[in-house]
Amino acid sequence: MKSITYPSTNVVGAALFAAAIALPASQTAFAEAVPESSIVSFKYLNYQDSQPGQERVGVNAYSIMGMVPIAGKWSISTTYTNDSVSGASPDAHSTVVSGASKMTENRQAVDLSVTRYLPKGSVTLGSSYSTEHDYVSKSYSAQESITTEDKNTTFTFGGSYTTDTINPTIDKASFYDRKTYSGMIGVTQVLTKEDIVQVNLGYASGKGDYNDHYKLFDLRPDKRESKTFMTRWNHHFDRRDGTARLSYRYYTDSFGINAHTFGMEYVQPLPHEWTVTPLFRFYSQTAATFYLPTSDPLATLPSYYSLDQRLSAFGATSIGVKVEKKIGKEWLVDARFESYEQRPEWSISGGGDKGLLPFYARSIQVGLTRHF
Amino acid sequence: MKSNFILKSLQAILCLIVLGLTGCSIGPAVQPWEKETLARPEMTFEGDPLDSKYTEHIYSSKEAASGGSGVGGGGCGCN
Repeated sequence: MKSITYPSTNVVGAALFAAAIALPASQTAFAEAVPESSIVSFKYLNYQDSQPGQERVGVNAYSIMGMVPIAGKWSISTTYTNDSVSGASPDAHSTVVSGASKMTENRQAVDLSVTRYLPKGSVTLGSSYSTEHDYVSKSYSAQESITTEDKNTTFTFGGSYTTDTINPTIDKASFYDRKTYSGMIGVTQVLTKEDIVQVNLGYASGKGDYNDHYKLFDLRPDKRESKTFMTRWNHHFDRRDGTARLSYRYYTDSFGINAHTFGMEYVQPLPHEWTVTPLFRFYSQTAATFYLPTSDPLATLPSYYSLDQRLSAFGATSIGVKVEKKIGKEWLVDARFESYEQRPEWSISGGGDKGLLPFYARSIQVGLTRHF
Repeated sequence: MKSNFILKSLQAILCLIVLGLTGCSIGPAVQPWEKETLARPEMTFEGDPLDSKYTEHIYSSKEAASGGSGVGGGGCGCN
């Protein structure tokens, strides 16, 4: 047991463990039929977060995605992402070891997936690779979808294996590894001509290093198991030609975190090939069992401990809007704006750390897609 | 808490499996020629893949929970 001295609540928490925007090769459940056309898509992201009186992390990222159907039975999809991150991580209770208050980071990520379409389903194999100067991540995944005779029900099974290697810049001689296995099963069901629902169950088990090496007082368990339950429902309103997209996710893990996420979108087509989509999201989590609150300093450290505010109890809201415009049959232009706010008192289970400052973020995406 | 979660999740998924296997949706089974609306991009769960990846990653870098919609995907130094 070591003694602990709490840092000032206004120490700037820098670090490379900030908001790099990765592009994982995540495969969503329920593969569709063979795509009818090839797609090339480009998307730019500008992201900035802040706390009262101070800007924090800023990100500029761009991604290019290509998807090609082959011989009516296969498709290949690939994505390249490059992002540049600069700034400092959230203020208060987030203390950097090195004392540096600013950081910059560049990340590159590539993913590739191949899908084989079968008369009653599909099989997809995927991999992804992501590198930054202190972090490398590799992931491999496989997913199978099986559809019933009437094509109203699809069962999905998937699994993945991910390895992460961390080589902190403040300790270049050390390498830390983490390996994660995950699996999921899901069912997608057509209910009516205007309703489709999906239920997914997920499980992940990771072992290795979970510490944030750029923060003081950060020692986390070397194993993390998580379970997710997610359900989504899309409903089309014939009268207005609009579509409501609702989702709910429950998450629980061995760190002691339980989280609820509610999502709502309403897609409304307008004249002249315009579409507008207002978005709303609410998120709430409990604190990790080893989170050390600002208001309750301990004389001695427990077995595991962290000051990371992402492990505290809080709630968050997002509101946004997405606007799309089709140009002819081949082009699609889109833009999306989102505003995000996080507050300890918004945790629906209570227990928020009132010593933490509110956290804000806004993101802008602009995209261009061409069908061939 | 954990066993409760597993039980409820299994109940929900079993319910959907039974619905699918028996062809018993809310009304009569939807026929192929009735799926024009369901084929619209906004009625699928995939959505805009680049948008979803950016957005999900922003959330997972600022919140403790992540995942739920599929498998795969690498990590990054932001988590």
